[in-house]
Amino acid sequence: MGRDIEFVVRVIADTVLENEAYFSELDGVVGDGDFGYSIARGFEKVLKEWDNLDHSLPGNFLKKISSTIVSVVGGVSGTVWGTAFLRAGMTLGTKTEISRPDVITMLRSAIEGIKKRGNCDLGDKTYLEAVVPAVDTLEKAFNEGKDTQTALEETAVVARESAEATRPMIAKRGRAAYTGERSIGTLDAGAVAVAVIFEAVSKAWKEKPLQVDSERSMK
Amino acid sequence: MKKFVNDPKDFVPEMLKGIALANPNTLKYIPEYNLIMRNDIPQDNKVSIMQGSGSGHEPAHVMVVGKGLLDAACPGNVFAAPPADFVYQTTKLVASPKGVLHLLNNYTGDTMSFDMGREMAEADGIEVRTVVINDDVAVKDSLYTVGRRGVAGNFFVIKAVGAASEKGADLEKLESLGNRIVAVTRTMGMALTGCTPPAKGSPIFTLAEDEMEMGIGIHGEPGRARVKITNADKIVDDLFDAVFNDLPYKSGDEVALMVNGLGGTPISELYVLYARAHELVEKCGMKVWRSYVGEYCTSLEMAGFSLTLVKMDPELEDLFAAPAEAAIRIF
Repeated sequence: MGRDIEFVVRVIADTVLENEAYFSELDGVVGDGDFGYSIARGFEKVLKEWDNLDHSLPGNFLKKISSTIVSVVGGVSGTVWGTAFLRAGMTLGTKTEISRPDVITMLRSAIEGIKKRGNCDLGDKTYLEAVVPAVDTLEKAFNEGKDTQTALEETAVVARESAEATRPMIAKRGRAAYTGERSIGTLDAGAVAVAVIFEAVSKAWKEKPLQVDSERSMK
Repeated sequence: MKKFVNDPKDFVPEMLKGIALANPNTLKYIPEYNLIMRNDIPQDNKVSIMQGSGSGHEPAHVMVVGKGLLDAACPGNVFAAPPADFVYQTTKLVASPKGVLHLLNNYTGDTMSFDMGREMAEADGIEVRTVVINDDVAVKDSLYTVGRRGVAGNFFVIKAVGAASEKGADLEKLESLGNRIVAVTRTMGMALTGCTPPAKGSPIFTLAEDEMEMGIGIHGEPGRARVKITNADKIVDDLFDAVFNDLPYKSGDEVALMVNGLGGTPISELYVLYARAHELVEKCGMKVWRSYVGEYCTSLEMAGFSLTLVKMDPELEDLFAAPAEAAIRIF
């Protein structure tokens, strides 16, 4: 499913660009309102250079996505996404065939990378609030032998519910953290972005042309 | 918005270009990485010192690149930390056999970018140490939060490690010196107005005619309290109390006293504030070793100031008094 990795990255890039203004608006409530703008510049460059990226191996491809993002996106956003793609790429190493357990290991590694880089964990009102339960759900669905489409749909639902659940939380990382209790009542922009992306991936997967290699290697 | 801008996206690069053109014999500008560096760096016998943070705080940090201060600065956009790759590329360009010291102000974005940039540089075999500056007493420090912010006290760290590096101090010594200065430096700021990042086009917050924000951050982050404005002396008293009581400053101490303008307050008003602060230092039985009045770390055109105290000792006195050259000159 090497090609599936590229497919998903492409969906993420398109989704981030489509939601640039929405993500910035979410961030503007208690943050500094540049989240959508910043990360869109990174994926804009990814799309612009798509044909010239390293497509030799899925791992190399993900590492190249990381270096492309951190060459243009500053601050928290660039580093969070850059770290996630770097760790995911490092986990895949030189693999050409990616199994379901590989996908989970890759996502877990990305999460651990974000936790370490940002000195943050669940409960701090960050991306993690949505991405951790989402990956738990994906793993459970895989373990239960569900097909990929069903697994992605269940994951998207949990990501959305988890993002909504950030509303009553107090922000403990990033610029929103300085607002302390004033951050209660607002959604975490990063967690919402994760939900929007999982929803988009689930929808795109349904619409994508069936690839023979994907169904085989995903079993 | 009424500002001197062309395309707001070019604001930072155009500022950097101006700095480089104004200092052709001493500074180099590398547009790919928003980088301003000394043109005689790296040197084999000197640790290189660099900083990067959001822009909008000038003269920090791009205008304090010079002999005896920073060797390089790689800013991000206005109020946004630089991309990790800028940190990495800058570290590579200034890398000396004695290593590279990263100075960074304690914000989530800066910390993460520098952590990733350092990891990338270390993978190339470059030795890097980091000093995190967190002098702002307005924010409660806690293991469970981002912790105190780095603000104007940053200047004293730059000045001291810059001077020590010129004298040949090694990386380990500079790291411990930097941490030692952070430990004796405290700051708090306040604002009379908000400020407008060029790309945003509107103020990041507004204060009513009779309001002020005590404990403001240098990106307009909320402070301790939004209160009714009082007179200059009373405002200095409040900031001084917060700063003085945070460290065991005591009678007989000598201190460096900084009154730092945030960008929109005239120097005349800064000296009105300084007069009161100086009296308060003496009233506590301390002595002002040296005064620092002016703009060191600003927040665009925000009206307001911050007050910093550094507890002095003979080593720091030597380092603060050592010669230094900065891009901004007054004659």
